[in-house]
Order: sequence, then structure tokens, then C-alpha cells
Amino acid sequence: MQDFINIGKRIPKMDAEEKVTGKAVYIPDLKVPGMLYGKILYSPHAHARILRIDTSEAERLPGVRAVLTGYNTPPIKFGFYKDNPPLKANKVRSFRDEVAALAAIDPDIAEEAINLIRVEYEILPAIFDPEEAMKEGAPLIHEEHLGGKEKKPTNVLNLPWRLIAGDVDEARKNSAYVAEDRFKVTWVAHCCLGTSGCVAQFDMKSNLTMYSNTQIPSLAQKDYLDALSAMGLQGKKVRVIKAMIGGGFGSKLDTYAYEYIAILLAHKTRKPVKIIFTREEEFFATSPRQPAIIDIAQGCTKDGKMTFRDIRMTLDNGAYTSWGATTPSVMMMPISSLYKVPNVRYVAKCVYTNNTYSQAMRGYGNPQATFAIDSQIDILAEMAGIDPLDFRLRNANTPGEVTPQNFKINTCGLRECIDVVAQRLDWRQNRGRRDGRGFGMASMIHVGGGARVYKSDGCGTIIKIDDFGTVNVITGATDMGQGAETVIAQIVAEEMGVRVEDVVVTHTDTDICPWDVGAHASRTTFVAGNSARGAAKKVKEQLLEVAAKSLGESPENLDIRDRIVFSKNDPEKKSPLGKILRATHYAAGGKMVMAEYFYDPPNENLDKEFKGNLSVTYAYGTHGVEVEVDKETGQVKILKYIAAHDVGRAINPMLLEGQVYGGATMGIGYALTERLILQNGKVMNPNFLDYKMLTAKDVPNIETIEIETDDPSGPFGAKGIGEPGLVPTAPAIANAIYDAVGVRIKELPITPEKVLAALKEKTNLK
Amino acid sequence: MKKFEYLKPHTLDEALILLDQYGGRARLIAGGTDVIVMIKQKEISPDVLISLQEIPDLDRINYNGSLSMGPMVTHRAIEKSEIIRKNFSALTDAVDVLGSVQIRNVATIGGNISTAAPSADTAAPLLALGARVKLKSMKTERTIPIEQFFTGPGETVLQKDDILTEIIIPKPLPNTGSAYWKHQRRGALDLPILGVAVLLSLDKATVTCSDLLCTASPISTVLHSLEGDEVFCKEVRIALGVAAPTPMRAIDAEKLLRSKKISDELLEEVAETAAKEAQPRDSIRGEAWYRRDMIKVLVKRMAMKSIERVLKPEETVFPVRLW
Repeated sequence: MQDFINIGKRIPKMDAEEKVTGKAVYIPDLKVPGMLYGKILYSPHAHARILRIDTSEAERLPGVRAVLTGYNTPPIKFGFYKDNPPLKANKVRSFRDEVAALAAIDPDIAEEAINLIRVEYEILPAIFDPEEAMKEGAPLIHEEHLGGKEKKPTNVLNLPWRLIAGDVDEARKNSAYVAEDRFKVTWVAHCCLGTSGCVAQFDMKSNLTMYSNTQIPSLAQKDYLDALSAMGLQGKKVRVIKAMIGGGFGSKLDTYAYEYIAILLAHKTRKPVKIIFTREEEFFATSPRQPAIIDIAQGCTKDGKMTFRDIRMTLDNGAYTSWGATTPSVMMMPISSLYKVPNVRYVAKCVYTNNTYSQAMRGYGNPQATFAIDSQIDILAEMAGIDPLDFRLRNANTPGEVTPQNFKINTCGLRECIDVVAQRLDWRQNRGRRDGRGFGMASMIHVGGGARVYKSDGCGTIIKIDDFGTVNVITGATDMGQGAETVIAQIVAEEMGVRVEDVVVTHTDTDICPWDVGAHASRTTFVAGNSARGAAKKVKEQLLEVAAKSLGESPENLDIRDRIVFSKNDPEKKSPLGKILRATHYAAGGKMVMAEYFYDPPNENLDKEFKGNLSVTYAYGTHGVEVEVDKETGQVKILKYIAAHDVGRAINPMLLEGQVYGGATMGIGYALTERLILQNGKVMNPNFLDYKMLTAKDVPNIETIEIETDDPSGPFGAKGIGEPGLVPTAPAIANAIYDAVGVRIKELPITPEKVLAALKEKTNLK
Repeated sequence: MKKFEYLKPHTLDEALILLDQYGGRARLIAGGTDVIVMIKQKEISPDVLISLQEIPDLDRINYNGSLSMGPMVTHRAIEKSEIIRKNFSALTDAVDVLGSVQIRNVATIGGNISTAAPSADTAAPLLALGARVKLKSMKTERTIPIEQFFTGPGETVLQKDDILTEIIIPKPLPNTGSAYWKHQRRGALDLPILGVAVLLSLDKATVTCSDLLCTASPISTVLHSLEGDEVFCKEVRIALGVAAPTPMRAIDAEKLLRSKKISDELLEEVAETAAKEAQPRDSIRGEAWYRRDMIKVLVKRMAMKSIERVLKPEETVFPVRLW
């Protein structure tokens, strides 16, 4: 183990005091002088033609400054498929469709006014089942949307997700055992404790400032610029200022209608306009995790070597298209590369329905796919008469492997993760008793070194040092609560020989911060960390150069430790950082000590066949769980939870454990309790009473184990850990339930009702 | 949120006068954990809120064999009352799992039953414990059994000018135990899928077991291995929450058990009968079939727990798990 001063230390988040004392300024706290309050009117129908909108009464209400509809706003289209206008004209396609919006001088007036808008609708036949929506003659969600070879109107999106490696059909013929199942996963919400919101403000020259809680400042900037162009404001500037973000988890990886509505209202009124979601809006008008119907077959040889994996998926796209429709690109990762499987086929279809549309959420499709894959691994292992632990070990990925999707596996601690989980659960002793207590495990792969989703996977950093030795790090990274600020400070402090408290990280303003592709793909510690480290190296070189002059020593013989520049040869030759800086700034012909660095990992874009080394390194992990199942009520209780992850290196074990706890907690909710209940397209449980996010009383003790594989490409060896914690949770729990009572639940969440119904069915069959 | 006038009378008489004066425009407020939420969600829009907070003695718990509670007794106060824990355990079971500590600190028992949600956690235990409630207006004062209090979801016999002033639980028979189970999806901040409360009075407080191990066994085992000993049920009340439009008693099930020798088989039959009596419905919070199934399971478990509390009073009171 290297002798680190700042790396590997349990340092609390730099903004912890502000947050726990309520001093941190989130979007709801933000006030801009002269600010108006925006409010949105949503559709009361899943699918309907708008016949008439009468806003006159709302406009007449004193205090109302502007009322907008899809009929008096420019034709902005947003989202990755550009099928979503901020305000809908002619037709609504889901309950979350924005029909009108207004700005008023206070929130109460805005609320009162929104109820004065009269809309007449003609209700249209709606469709909520993606399999039904694919059929000929199904109601069309977007009549103008053409697809297929004949370019006919269709609800099936033109996104042919298709990954093929090897020969699945041949491999299937040669398999000794083949398992075939259908799994289903449904919508779950991010449940950010801070609801969504923004403040849009134009200056006199019609340049836009957006106070936002985006995870993707640089990309959001582009989205807003596009909107300004559509509004006839070409050549204007956009500045994005991030407030404290009250949770992201992927929900803020795309821009939403409310942001464009705030921009339109601000432009119309020439006043800053703030929109803040209520909790109810947060549940029904932001985009949840992508649901899917998963048909999966996997096979193995007689001795349990995997032969093929064949998956067909239907994704309920909802009425518009955001990143949810692209989750198959990430699902391909576990499908092709979780365990060694030589032949792979994956085909996915995204289908428009009148349901809500989905977004990125922690794991980005990976938890959905892994639930099917690793649940079925247990099924297949049982068919082959092999302990699922041995089955996993037999097929575990190894360093140096090239997977069917052309991922080049660098460091890989999967085997260690499986071993340690088995050991902690006392697997061989405990498993297979079917006595109401059960043991299960599941594994995961995720990108560990960023992912080249766009042309660039880069992040820039600027470092300058002030007169007193304070190191200002200006990063493109986004801290949305995960602690990027603290981790970056630790990396810079380690590289430069200063203390963490000497480092100030700025990450909140696109006018100041360098470019970054966004906080996604568990990439921030890895990419922004490497970028910060690169800048720190450069600035240190400069420092040593100036110090060399004043100390009369050559730069190679100098180093910095604990804010002091010293000579490695002569300990008497030393000087505090601040002194050297002041001497540099105050000297005739002085200079700034500062540096910039752009790091773009050697990741590859996926090619036309969706193959390529997406990430320079991959993160593996295994979760193990012991459950107790009440056979009479179907309730599942988690008795023991082990989460082992190959983390490369833990830069800050405290924050890293926080990520794993948070991920596993979300994963347990995904497995057992959480679901957005949609009935005919309407969210029936838009509140925390009926949306069953786990409480402190429900979360079991999660034991984390960090396997440090010291990845050569990571900053001080680190890999990403933001998402992995929730990826294998659901299949591990499903496998444990099977071990406890012998029923296999293939649909999330695994409610007591499902377990009990399955137990009854099993008894009846006997 | 709609604006309202907030009045704080200092005596019960003053409160009754104000209530009489404002009639339907006013609403009583106790802890506010229901009323304020309902105003925010625009379910109600009173012009005046009359707080009972400043009226002395409404938060008193009096015990002299029977129990008397003012409507302003908080759930937290009940939770902490050793007398209630010991003598009226079902009520403790209910408040232990109601909302969260923060909510229990302000929410009151009077508020919980007056709101009359079918899922109100204290309703089923109060039914099982045979509680009566005192209602007072300027003109009248009456005391009625709690069975007659609830008339529908969110509806009670309370008139516009009535205040619920007291909840009385009669002194239980000797050798009585009671238990409540909130069947929920989470450990806190949840509404029950189903609530089951049982009160059982036995003809004796001790039994002799056939072997020593018996004392450490679950009560169902104990019942099986009694040495020539028999346990009779002298009184029983079974109450269900979220099983019908109002909290209900399972009268037929009770009849089946009253004055009978208690056995595993009989309790099973009792639970089956209770399930037949109930009229659970499908909602996003739970399906009817599951609720009915859980009545079968939980009535038996709560009966067992009640027996256990008589025969093994030193055991933990909270029914953690029974399988």
C-alpha cells in the first residue's frame, strides 16, 4: 500500500455541515429579485384531442403576468428523439402532458389562475400495453411518426437495438441445459428529496441565465441554446448556474418541459421565472426508470459452462422519448459481458404508449437486465444440478478477457467478490434448506472508467493558486450529493502535497467551469478525478519551477508536502507555498501559477454493431443476501446483506460506502416495495405514503466489502462506484427468496401478494 | 394554502360556544397531522380552525382499573404509558407503528378516530378493548360504544357542534390479553394493508406444561402440550381495520370462540369466520383476496399473542414475529 496522505481517508463531504444544518441553498431556497412564479396545467386525459383552450379568465386574474399554450409559443422540440414540445398543441398523449402554463407574482395566485384555464378535449382511444401498441390498428400516439421498411405510421420507434455475437442458434442446439423465462420490471421513481425546479432569467440583451439542478450543465446549455434558436434568439448566450442538487440519480440527465416553459415565460414577461415542482408533480411529471418485458434464454454445457444468452425486450417508451429509450445500449453490457458467455443475441424494441416516458436512472437499464440474467443463472444452475455459487465461479469474468461486445476487461475482482460473499454468508453450510430462510447472490458489471456515449467522454479542470496557498480547483464535474467536490479535493491535495482543507472546488457555473459531458455512467471520480490529477501535476511542475529559483535548488530535487516546498537533498531548504506564490505575484515580470487539463479516457464509441471498448475499465461486484420469508403472509425480511465491489481503489471509503449503501437501499426498494402504480396511464401513488420508498426502519445493515484492484488507468487506481450498488440487488434477493421457500418471482417488485400467490400455486400443483 | 382564522379557546365551554357559533365553517384541530394535510390537499377548506391545544386536561390519561383518555392525548404519550402497555397492550401495539416518532409526538388519539380513516390505527384496538367515547355539544352530552361512532370512510356520528371529549376503556376481566397487528409494507410511515386487533379473556393465568421446554416455546406449542390442563375463553373481541368501509367487529367469529375451550383448530376456524365476515376491497394499497387471506392468518396470530400475554406476561409485548 502506497503511503497516501489524503487518498483512502474517511473525510466527510465538504458541504456536509451546510446540508445538515439546512443552510445549503437548493433551488426552492433561491430567490432572484423581481422573480415570478410559474405553474403548469397538465392533461386530465391519457390521450385526447385539444379542441379549445380558453385562458381569458386566468389572464384577467390580478397578479398574472403571462399565460402560454402550445398555440402561442414557438415550436421547440426537445428530448433525444425530438418528439416532445414543452407545451402541447392539438393533442395530449399522456397525463403528464403540459397544456398551458402561466407566471404570476406569487405561487398562490399562480395556483388559483391555473384552475381558471378551461380546456375542451375530445377523448381518444388510448393504449397502455407496449405489446398491444405494436399491433396493427393500435391507436397511434404520434400519427406523423413513420417507421419500418415501408415507412408506415407506427408506435415502434426507429431504434433497432441489436447486438449479435457468435451463433446463438447453433450454441443453443449444443447446450445441455436451456432455461427460458419471461421477466417483467416496472416503473420506479428516483425519489430525489429535492423536487425539480429552475429559475430562468434573461438580461437586457436576451442572454439567458438558468439556475438549474442539472446533472449535465454543458449539454443542458446546448439544449437551452437550441430552444433560444427556435424562439428566434440566435447567437445569444446561455449560462447555467447550479444550485445545490437535492439528488439526481439520473433524473436530471435530460432537460424537461418545465425548464423550457420557465424560459418561455421569462422571455415573455422579461422577468425571472421560477418553477418548482410539488412532490406530486415530481412523481408524475418527471421520468422514472424504464419498464421492460424481458424474454430471456440462457444455456450451458453439462458441466455448467455458459453457452449462449438470447434476450428479446419490449420497452414501454411512454408518449415521448428521453434517455429511457436508450437504456438498451447499457443493457447490452451485462447481456454481453456479465459472466463469460461466448454467444449473445439481444434485440430490443421501444414502443410508444400513452404512459409516462422514462429516463436515465442509476444503472441505466443495467439493473433491469441483470435482474433477468442473474435470476435465470440460478434457474439454469439448478437445471444443471450445480450450486449457483460454483456456477458463477465457473463462468466468472477474468482479467485480460475480451467479451463478445469487445470490452477489454482490465482489472477484474469478480471472483474475489463472489468468494468473499460466499464466505460471509457461510454459503456452503447454509444454502438449500428451504426452511423459510434463504440465501442468494447475484453479480454485476458496469463501466468503471466512464463511457464514451458521446463523441467525447472528457472533463476539463483549471487549477490556480492564490497568494496564501489556497488551491482553487475549477472543474467541469457536477456534485449532486455524491461528494465529487470532496473526492476531487482529495485527489488534488494528494498530487500537490497540500491538505484537503487547502483546496476549494468550484463546479457550479458554466461561465467559469470547463467543459464536461455530465454526471453519468459513474464517471465523475474516474474522469473528473483523472482530469483534476492531470491539472494538479501541471500546476505542481510550475510551482516547483518558481520555487526552485527562490530556494536555489533544481526543480527535480523539490517536492511539496503539507503546504511546504522542500528540497529532498537539503531539508533546510524549504518555504511555505503561500510565500512562494506571493514572491511570484509581487515580483517584476511575475506570473500566475495556474494550469488547465482536459482528460478524455481512451474509451471507444460503440460501433454500428454496438461493439467496442466502451470504457477503459469495468467495475464488478457481487451482492449476497439472507432473507426470511413468512410463508403465511408472503412477507420478506432481509436478515443479512453483503455488498462486495471491485472499486479499484477507495479514494474516500466513507463516501464510497455511502454510494454502496444508497445503491443497495434503492435496489432493495426496487426488489421488494417500490413501484409507480399506473392505472390507464395515470400515476396512482404520487406521494411518499403510497410510493413505498424504504424508511430507516426498513433498511437492513448493509455490510460493504471493498476489493481494491488498483486499476492502472484510474486516478490512484479508482473505478466508478456511483451506480454499481443497486445493480445486483434485485436478483440477489429473488434468488434468496427462491432458496427460502422455492418460489421464483420474475416480476418486480416482489410484493407479499406475489410471494403468497406463488406459494399457493406451488401447493396446489403438488 | 387557503387562509383561515385560528382560534385557541381556553376552556371546553368556550370551544363549544365557538363551534356552535361558526357551525360548518369551523373545524376542530388537535395535532393537525390530518387537518393541515387535508387543507393543503384542498379536501377541506374551513374558514376557522378551533384548536383544542390550550384547553387544560384534555391530554390527561387517568387509570383506576378502567382507563380514561382525553382526546388530546398524543400517540407518543400512549406509547410511553406503562399502564397502557401492561393492561391495554393492543393500543400500545397500534401507536408503536403509527406514522413516525415525529408524527406521534403531535398526533392525538381523538384526532385519529375523529378523522375516521378506515385505516386509522387506533380504531381496531379501541373496538377490541370495548372502548366508549363521550361526545359533547352545547346542548347534549352522550357516551356511546365506539362501534356506533364510525358511520363510513371519514364519517362519524359527530355533529357539527360536537366535541369528542373522552375515550373510556372499561376495566378488563381478569386474565385478559390483547394484541394488534398492523400489516404494512414498510416499518414506518405507512398505512395498514390490514389491521387486526384481538382481545381475549381466559379462565386462568397459568398453565402446566408437559415438559420444561414448553415455557420457552411459542404459545401454539404450549397449547398443544398442556398436561390435562384446558384453557377456556371467557370473553373475546375481534376487530378489523381496512376490512370494511369502517373499522369493524367480527361478531360471528367472536361467538364461535366465546366460552369455548381454546385450541389451535378452533382459532383457525375463528379466523376463517372473521375473514368471511369482512368486506375488504381492492385498492392500490392492497387487493381484496390478500386482505381476506391475511385476516385468516393474523386473527389467529393475534389471538395467540393475546393468550401469550396472559400466560407469559414477561415476554416482549410487541408482536414482532410469530412464525
